[in-house]
Amino acid sequence: MKMVVCVKQVPGTHDAKIDPETKRIVREGIKAILNPFDTYALEEAVKIKERAGGEVIVMTMGPPRAEAVLREAISVGADAGILLSGRAFGGSDTWATSYALAKAIEKIGGVDLVLCGKQAIDGDTAQVGPGIAAQLGWAQATYVMEIPRWDNGTITTRRMHEDGWDLCEIKLPAVITVVKDINQPRVPTLKGRLAAQKLEIPVWSPQEIGAEEELIGLNGSPTRVVTTNPPPPRANDTLVLDGPPSQSAATLVRELRRRGLL
Amino acid sequence: MEHHIENRIYHVEVLPPKQDSEKLEADLERFASKFNRVMESGYCCCITDNAMGNLAFQGTEMIEELELEPKPGLVMIHLNTFHTKDDLDRILESCRELEIRQLLVISGDGSDRLPKLAPADVGATDVESVTSVELLRYIGREYPGVFELGVAFNPYEPEEHEFAKMERKLDAGASFIITQPVINSHPVVDKLLEKHPEVPVIVEAWMSKNISLLSEAVGYEVAEDPESFDPVQTLANLHRNYPKCGVYLSLLGFKKQYDRITGLWEQVQNEKVTS
Repeated sequence: MKMVVCVKQVPGTHDAKIDPETKRIVREGIKAILNPFDTYALEEAVKIKERAGGEVIVMTMGPPRAEAVLREAISVGADAGILLSGRAFGGSDTWATSYALAKAIEKIGGVDLVLCGKQAIDGDTAQVGPGIAAQLGWAQATYVMEIPRWDNGTITTRRMHEDGWDLCEIKLPAVITVVKDINQPRVPTLKGRLAAQKLEIPVWSPQEIGAEEELIGLNGSPTRVVTTNPPPPRANDTLVLDGPPSQSAATLVRELRRRGLL
Repeated sequence: MEHHIENRIYHVEVLPPKQDSEKLEADLERFASKFNRVMESGYCCCITDNAMGNLAFQGTEMIEELELEPKPGLVMIHLNTFHTKDDLDRILESCRELEIRQLLVISGDGSDRLPKLAPADVGATDVESVTSVELLRYIGREYPGVFELGVAFNPYEPEEHEFAKMERKLDAGASFIITQPVINSHPVVDKLLEKHPEVPVIVEAWMSKNISLLSEAVGYEVAEDPESFDPVQTLANLHRNYPKCGVYLSLLGFKKQYDRITGLWEQVQNEKVTS
């Protein structure tokens, strides 16, 4: 099976700051990481490859420094990486990003399955995976927590939702987005990390993927971020339990019940 | 382990490079250089396993990839419970192939990125989570007689609880003990020596000048004046206070401290003979 995993370089959760002028996340000077949800998509693709054979290509759109997340992905089992980079991509919203990624997937050719994390931790939109499916006109399954089987051009997915899960059989080619319950991502080996450092990563420009200029970047983005605000700080809610252990345990249980946690 | 103590073989902690290292080549070179220096000194190189929950490369893969040559009996691998079953078996198999006999078996510090062994992975049926006890039993069962298994002792934890844990660890197959860092001496370590005179004990010497980091590492405030703390003097005091114990050197400075500690153990022993 030929698989593409779409990943994103995001600021480390605790480092995220918002520029008061531009209302955008400040990315300069802070540690960038591979979007944690994407690591589950990557692990699932590598597991499928290990069991059924095939190829895993990891792809991202971003500035040259985003290449680091592709190397990280290669160090845990992806076979190749592709970076979509160019000034014209700048300012793309989720729809324009989906378009660019879809064009690159078409250029790769013969792709059976596209895997994405359910969302990125910086934008939290959960729109790019479904957007790619829409751009390509492919079937999609979101919030996938298990892929019990794949055969004869179909995959079966267990999708998580608020009331439980449903089992969907979808025809390939398809796009899926996964939740973290799906697997336990592996950590890179030294051998993998060293191999990933040596691998050449092609950089594809808008022209190389045949993207129309009016459909990428700000021109191709039907949405605008008007304002971004950090979440309100969490209340420092500390409960000190003193007294005999049996009394403390009873208080703890009562408190957890009161908060609906038990 | 008695052989190490009798022959004044220091246990020198060496940390492998972190997974997110931005200068990996340089870090690998530094690791290899430290490893080789410890081997040349005839000391035991102790390689940590994701210490403090920081993701790092694993000891055996470092040795294999860098083609280092462990001397028999002079490498100790730390092994914690934050691995997949496949990884655990791979590490143990590599240790056997590399003739690494000593393992320090610890529960370890987890992180979101690390998998955790499940009880079924190590054949444990009576517990909800895997600790060093279940891991010790697994290694003892799967590799009988292959490894010498050590365990950690934390004198800063509530005493009764820590001694009860130690009983379980010894019962599960531990044959030597390494303490958490001790500054000069610690009454709970004294009790440990009284309680288990037959088990070789290695006391840990904190070789960093940064004493506040020690409090962080052990999880309890260690009351020590950061200004006057002298790690080498403290090491000498450990030799004086625990003459029958081995010593584990954590965060040893290879540039300046290494030369200062070479011969120190013998020197302290000779002091005693002279006096």
